[in-house]
Amino acid sequence: MNNTTTIPGIQKGYYPLKILIIILLLLGLGLFPFISGNRFYISLITEMMIYGLLAMSLDVLLGYTGALSFMHNAYLGISAYVVGLFLIHISPTSLWLACFTGIIFTSLVALPVGWVQVRTGGLAFALLTLAFGMMFHTIVWKWYGVTGGDDGLMGMPNPDISLFGWNLGNTGNPVTIYLFTLIIVTICFFLTRRIINSPFGAVLEAIRENEDRASFVGINVRMYKLLGWMLACILASIAGALFILYKGYIGPSTMSAFAGAGVLMMVLLGGLGSLWGAFVGAAMFIYIQDYISTMSEHWEIYLGLVVIFLVLFLPTGFVGLGEHLKRFRKG
Amino acid sequence: MKRIFFVLIIFLSISLIFSCGKKTDDQSETISKLKQEIVELKATITKLEAELVLARTPKEPLKIGVLVPLTGIVAQGGLEMKYGIEMAAEEKGTVLGRPIELLVEDTQVKPPVAVTKAEKLVYKDDCKALIGVFSSGVGLALAKNIDKLNVPFVSTHVMTTKFYGLHPLVFRSGQLANDQTAVGNVKGIMARPDLMKRSYYVIVHDYSWGHDAGERFIALAKENGIKIVNEDYDKAPIATKDWSSYISKIKASGADAVYMAFITNVIPVFAKQASDFGLQGKVKLVSAAAPGPLELEAGGEACYGIFGASDWSWDVDNANSNDWEMRFWKKFNTIPSDAAVHSYVGAMNLFNAIEKAGSTDAKAIADALRGISFDGPYGNVRISAKDNCMRNSAVLTETMAAPENPFGAKVYMKVLKTFTADELGPPE
Amino acid sequence: MGGSLGIIVDITLNSLVLSGVFLIVAIGLNIIYGLSRIMNMGHGALYAVGAYTGYTLVATGLNYFAALIIAPIIVGAVGLLIERTIIAPMRKRSMVYTLILTYGLMFFLDGMIKYVWGNKPCFIDLPAFLQGTISILGTQYPVFRLATLFIIAAIMGGLMLFLNKTRIGIILRASSTIPEMVSCLGINMNYVHMGAFVLGSVMAGVAGIIAGPLTTIDPLMGGEMLISSFVVIVIGGLGSLRGAVIAALLIGFVQTFAEFFITDLAMVIVYILMAIILAFMPRGILGEGKFE
Repeated sequence: MNNTTTIPGIQKGYYPLKILIIILLLLGLGLFPFISGNRFYISLITEMMIYGLLAMSLDVLLGYTGALSFMHNAYLGISAYVVGLFLIHISPTSLWLACFTGIIFTSLVALPVGWVQVRTGGLAFALLTLAFGMMFHTIVWKWYGVTGGDDGLMGMPNPDISLFGWNLGNTGNPVTIYLFTLIIVTICFFLTRRIINSPFGAVLEAIRENEDRASFVGINVRMYKLLGWMLACILASIAGALFILYKGYIGPSTMSAFAGAGVLMMVLLGGLGSLWGAFVGAAMFIYIQDYISTMSEHWEIYLGLVVIFLVLFLPTGFVGLGEHLKRFRKG
Repeated sequence: MKRIFFVLIIFLSISLIFSCGKKTDDQSETISKLKQEIVELKATITKLEAELVLARTPKEPLKIGVLVPLTGIVAQGGLEMKYGIEMAAEEKGTVLGRPIELLVEDTQVKPPVAVTKAEKLVYKDDCKALIGVFSSGVGLALAKNIDKLNVPFVSTHVMTTKFYGLHPLVFRSGQLANDQTAVGNVKGIMARPDLMKRSYYVIVHDYSWGHDAGERFIALAKENGIKIVNEDYDKAPIATKDWSSYISKIKASGADAVYMAFITNVIPVFAKQASDFGLQGKVKLVSAAAPGPLELEAGGEACYGIFGASDWSWDVDNANSNDWEMRFWKKFNTIPSDAAVHSYVGAMNLFNAIEKAGSTDAKAIADALRGISFDGPYGNVRISAKDNCMRNSAVLTETMAAPENPFGAKVYMKVLKTFTADELGPPE
Repeated sequence: MGGSLGIIVDITLNSLVLSGVFLIVAIGLNIIYGLSRIMNMGHGALYAVGAYTGYTLVATGLNYFAALIIAPIIVGAVGLLIERTIIAPMRKRSMVYTLILTYGLMFFLDGMIKYVWGNKPCFIDLPAFLQGTISILGTQYPVFRLATLFIIAAIMGGLMLFLNKTRIGIILRASSTIPEMVSCLGINMNYVHMGAFVLGSVMAGVAGIIAGPLTTIDPLMGGEMLISSFVVIVIGGLGSLRGAVIAALLIGFVQTFAEFFITDLAMVIVYILMAIILAFMPRGILGEGKFE
């Protein structure tokens, strides 16, 4: 119990203030739809949470195992397609089975890519994910009969969310899907946090810091890297299942390589190697993009400038902002 | 230790919440008094609010959401659509005594983006109707979400046949649908013996509209005995910039005409490259969509001889059309295009329907839209009560060197023939 | 029109032209990567800037060949500005950050292009003697496309001479292999990085003005070319110039032939090819790829 090795970058221990903040935050988010009836903000926050989960999974991959992936949104897409197809063609009511199938199928796709990843690694792998990502994107676009091509997946039913025979509401209702997303994302966050703070997470970081040294200590480097990869992909596939339940629609543009760079942006904006930072990054990125694209038809100029300034002047992301301020206060 | 601490905190916070609920007798008296006051205050406020709303209603603008692509491959078309809708709003001025306010959002031709923007327009900005939209994928994604949004949606540039009778709140008033264009083009080809004898090579952009357009043309052409070289037609990715391999393929196939279903601004690009390869004059280009005038200008002489059916061209000669062109030219200083004019007409149909409905209720507007018609630059445009899609007359055009004109255009779409609405169908 | 020989000549020439354009864009990207380990996502946008600048120059009445020289110089100047303002401060940071930084740069440049030149496609007018077609082995082939092949060959030759014979070229080549040694020799690495970025930008500009008359100039041309050139340098091995030549030829031919024979799946084949090559040869086709 007491042999906790402190790992730089991860704050261990449960501080009362932290817990209070988390409880208040969750309470606030949970009550939000009942306070504000505006469905646009409910939708926007749902989207932020889903992309936050995706960004967090990429953060696990990049911040803890050091593997850069441009195709993370492709896993979100694959999972969303599988869940959607399951609900359309096999059973329109069995939500949990559909999500389970989505996660399993995505893992099966991710496994061979992960196999390649542990053997190459580094920038070569990052570019390989670019190729795989574009391949999946093109396949989805071309496989007209199954995926609906560019039209996207049509005719998604809205299944009820039920647990142990207890009906919690319909996924067609924005408030229900909002709360459902909140609960699932919270569970995923704490589970991931638990995993990352366990010895397993420590091993992953040891590998990230120095692969050779880790292998000398007797760690099966490839095995652990593959496990880290699979963890990230499973989290992404959960985000995918939530995505299709929320939007009722999935199309190939969600899976393109440029959208993948957007997810990477979210992680860096939030700060690398901190799980909650990914959520902050996703929320900021989605809000900025939404806000700027309404401003003028030349929104690309402003978005580009914002990205450039953030990378130049906020090098450690939003998480690092606190450190900056502390240093500033100390003089 | 930590765990104990954790549990303590939870207990503390829970007891805090409960303690707020408990109150002593002394407090409860004051509270009940306060409560009464609050109730009274509330009543006054509601009264005042109601009066205020009544006083303000006539001036409060009626918000309409405009969804057009302003970035991405069809940005130019999107801009022209926006111009058309803006012009209609300005000319109409007020609806139900309220000024029209257009809120424009960029769809980026990405369906998920368009859905998010539509949610923003309806939920946040309280738009009473949506108009615009380029590309079938975007249109269908919006239609899928229209139950949630619960506002009427008039698309002006979605050509897919899936839109016929799709949803009671989804309408089309704009560019000819795929089946209508195919009928127009085949009728046009049949009327010209030199075109009838040719064998056609079919090439489309690889997305749902392209596929639909290609298949409809092939089916109809075969019925009419027009020769098709490749019934398993080519689907080129939208990103294609270098058409040389397709052009080589056309050369190799021995076809002497090409039926192309490309996004408007790619039509002159393909024509230009075909002309570079010396195909101009030898291979006739028949298009399933109207090429944009600005793109034709860029292509210049290479774009002569593109044949095809569309709603309108500035060559259409009637008082209404000539007047409209000049108004558009004065306002935007852009050559008036098909995209602009049919978006204008679609917007007019929507505004008139809201006026006719007498309220901004979604169902009332939708009921008013069914069967409504507008006399615009290309004649009467009527939204069918049966399938929510428009019927209108159209023109068959061929691009060639333009005569003297106020816009300074060098290439134009000469009107060869006018189709009546009944000729193009579909039957009601 | 032309027998089967004519068709083969047609496709081969198409493949060569496509490969040539890929090559010039990819080489620019490769030089920047090889020398300063920066993967410039804004490279495609610089290519578009080159094409648009060329268009404006020709439209104002300049000769095409003069524009071919002036446009890349302008793009090089833009590159210098970018390097000094945003790339140089990022030198010490992880590559992931420069990737995202240049991703923002791509948005910015694309937006600026749309702001300045609008959305409509543009075409570069060619001098009369380059228009029309010429008969080769039973097929009619556009004169300009043939001329392009010679221009590309000349540029590649010039680049090789520059890298192998001039002092600056030799410094650049040395820096790509052992940067520490070069800086030990008293050469300011800052200038090397600057030179690399400018040279890369010039190459992007050259590719833009060459591709302008071949295809079309529109605001999206950059993004699409960026992906293709990524594919090329990855297959060729990051930072490897010889590899890029072979990879550009490979991709050019595979894409053109696939478009001709199995149209629908052309791009899927290119990506699968890239994935297979990378999975088994992570350092590219010649095994010369460089990364940490």
